[in-house]
Amino acid sequence: MMLAVETSGLTRCFGEVRAVDCLDLRIEAGRFYGFLGPNGAGKSTTIKMLTGLLAPSSGSMRLLGQELADPEQAREVKRRIGVVPENLALFDNLTAREYLTFVGRMYLLPAAVIRDRSRELLQMMSLDHEEKKLALEYSHGMKKKLALAAALLPNPELLFLDEPFEGVDAVSSRVLRDTLKRFVQRGATVFLTSHVLEIVEKLCTDVGIIARGRLVCQTSMEEVRKDGSLEERFLAAVGGGQAEVQKLSWLED
Amino acid sequence: MNWQQLHALLWLRWRLARNQWSRGGQINAVISLIAAVLGLSLAAAGGLGGFLTGWLGLASVSPLVLMLVWDGLIGLFLMFWSIGLVTELQRSEIIDFTKLLHLPVSLRGVFVLNYLASHFSLSLAILLPAMAGLSLGLTLGRSPGMILLLPLALAFLFTITAWTYCLRGWLAQLMCNQRRRRAIVMGVTFAFILLAQLPNLASNVWLRPGSQGGGADPRERAERRARDRQARERAIGLFTTAHRFVPPLWLSGGARALAEGRVGPALLGTAGLAFLGALGLRRAYRSTLRFYRGGDPSGATPAPAKVPPPARYGGALLVERRIPLVPEEAGALALANLRSMMRAPEVKMALSLNVVIFGIIGVGLLMRRSGRIPELAEPFVISSTVLVTFLGLLQILFNQFGFDRDGFRALVLLPARRWHVLLGKNLSLLPPATVVFLAFLVMMGLLVRPPPWTLAAVCLQFCAGFLGLSVAGNLASILAPHRIAAGSLKPTRVKASTTLVMVLAQMVFPFTVLPLALPAALGALFEHLGWLPAAAVNLTLSALLCLAAALLYGATLEPLGRLLQRREQAILLVVTQEVE
Repeated sequence: MMLAVETSGLTRCFGEVRAVDCLDLRIEAGRFYGFLGPNGAGKSTTIKMLTGLLAPSSGSMRLLGQELADPEQAREVKRRIGVVPENLALFDNLTAREYLTFVGRMYLLPAAVIRDRSRELLQMMSLDHEEKKLALEYSHGMKKKLALAAALLPNPELLFLDEPFEGVDAVSSRVLRDTLKRFVQRGATVFLTSHVLEIVEKLCTDVGIIARGRLVCQTSMEEVRKDGSLEERFLAAVGGGQAEVQKLSWLED
Repeated sequence: MNWQQLHALLWLRWRLARNQWSRGGQINAVISLIAAVLGLSLAAAGGLGGFLTGWLGLASVSPLVLMLVWDGLIGLFLMFWSIGLVTELQRSEIIDFTKLLHLPVSLRGVFVLNYLASHFSLSLAILLPAMAGLSLGLTLGRSPGMILLLPLALAFLFTITAWTYCLRGWLAQLMCNQRRRRAIVMGVTFAFILLAQLPNLASNVWLRPGSQGGGADPRERAERRARDRQARERAIGLFTTAHRFVPPLWLSGGARALAEGRVGPALLGTAGLAFLGALGLRRAYRSTLRFYRGGDPSGATPAPAKVPPPARYGGALLVERRIPLVPEEAGALALANLRSMMRAPEVKMALSLNVVIFGIIGVGLLMRRSGRIPELAEPFVISSTVLVTFLGLLQILFNQFGFDRDGFRALVLLPARRWHVLLGKNLSLLPPATVVFLAFLVMMGLLVRPPPWTLAAVCLQFCAGFLGLSVAGNLASILAPHRIAAGSLKPTRVKASTTLVMVLAQMVFPFTVLPLALPAALGALFEHLGWLPAAAVNLTLSALLCLAAALLYGATLEPLGRLLQRREQAILLVVTQEVE
């Protein structure tokens, strides 16, 4: 079985802090992988390293069978992946259509393909009525939808999505979930982080849980369901289950 | 009014400024400490100096001189005040009133508190003691009646702060729309730059003595001098009359009247300024209220919500076009970057420097009265268009990724070769550079009327300059990137080493473009020695220079691309870091 994502001893330090600590991930191609963790656990740092936005302090990474340490291989693998990073990657002064056209050309897609796919994506994301609007005038949700559209445009084999549903309206969220499901059914891989456990539970086939930079759980959703809910598994993994309910003095008087 | 809330608001304002400075690193913290000590010293010195000057220095001067002293003080205050205003507009609203409305304060309370907090500025801290000291000094030195200057000065400050607050509020409301916000910031900054250049232009146009022109007989020169004197006297008369009608000048006009023993104009000025200040505050409050209730800040009746028109997917986009002979990725980036720059106010602001230079040089040359430019100097004057063109582009050329901000993340994520990225970035700057260059060239061509050979040589020098500076710009952009705040030209969180590189780049720039003047210089030398005609030498050497620059550009593009690949994550960290 081909691995879509494989890391070994992946570590990233920020000064004294080890944001990601010896991470060993193995994600098979064609899976919908949910990457969970509390705030500051290292989810976004991991995605940044996997997509080339941040250099690891140590360890190795392979995406779709190619080594990321080699610049040429890293560039080649970028042609096969799509990314929605944490803080997005939009140019403020371009319209949605201009941005998608630019991205399509950078992926060396033919002009007609870029045009057709852009039209479909903008319709799907309900951004087609905002042709004159610049990205800087978009709301956070609209920006997210545009970033998602750009990630889907080159029809990648592997999709990294950092909190893709945050700020996206219910209608678009539903459309997007269906799209991602079809995407995985066609054999592509999705690597998704989210704080909404229900979404992960509905969509994902596999989950990994990271806490304080370390991978504390990596299993299939089927296994999770056997033992109870994802929330219980998550709380148990990150140590939230045993935490006492904190009390506020003025509420107890 | 709640003093605890006012205290909290003043603390917040101070804390925000302090945090912004301290985040810039230790050197910035030291600079801010020095600035604070300097500011306090200046305030104390201003107060004491004003008092001593009023008491001892201005005790016996004429009322006109006293008025001019106050005019200077007013000018100084307004200049500092405007710089503060422009800086605050370029930042996001330092204390946005919508951030306070969820707190237990009324709209009126927030308004008053925010207005009072707006007095917390360096210009006021330095110049208020100076004005107060000067008023008290004049009271002691001249007459007790001069004490009326104190309320007059306070009324002046009240008017300025009230109307500034009104203007800031109005702009802040207009700036709710992001696109409009950036246009306003650009417009205000540009207006300020032009305003600062007005004395320069005015001295070029009106105050330049006509007697500089040589060749006329003594009688004619004497007549010209008399005309100039009359013009100066008219200008002074106009300036004195303006003190009756321009409210900020009522303060200096009042000082003159008090020195002449007339109390009425000073009292009237105080009442008038206080009235205007109250009017400004009332207007500010009413526009705040309208904004809070959802009205349009411009006062216009809002149009009914429009149903979005059906989506059109027609016309070809600029970013869809192909650039012949240029790799696909480089062409796509060049066009997307050009499209983006054409809309970015910060880029327009950088280019507006050219407009200012254009205006000053153009007016200066047009108003020249000293005859024709010497023939030998003509090629140099024409070649200077290249230097002036790049002067306005320097900030963009040497920090190509700092204007991208979050967009640079897209460049890192994309599978493009990095030398294609550099090539695309450089190509995107070619059209604005060419437009500016041609505009300068046409202007110079009309003024100097050079032969076609010289014009062709300058075009080749422009190509050489663009290629050479692109190499230097690529290197500087990779090694010393700095984030430029959206909608302004303000670098944010700049490291001391980057600042050093920026300063060095500005200082070294004239020397780096010196080779561009070589063809003209050697041409002049060869002709002087009688060896070869200047135009032929100039053109040949310019062509060789262009070829050398093209070879240098071609040879460095790939190595610089590799350097960019190695440093792109470090650049990303710098250009995507935001400040409060």
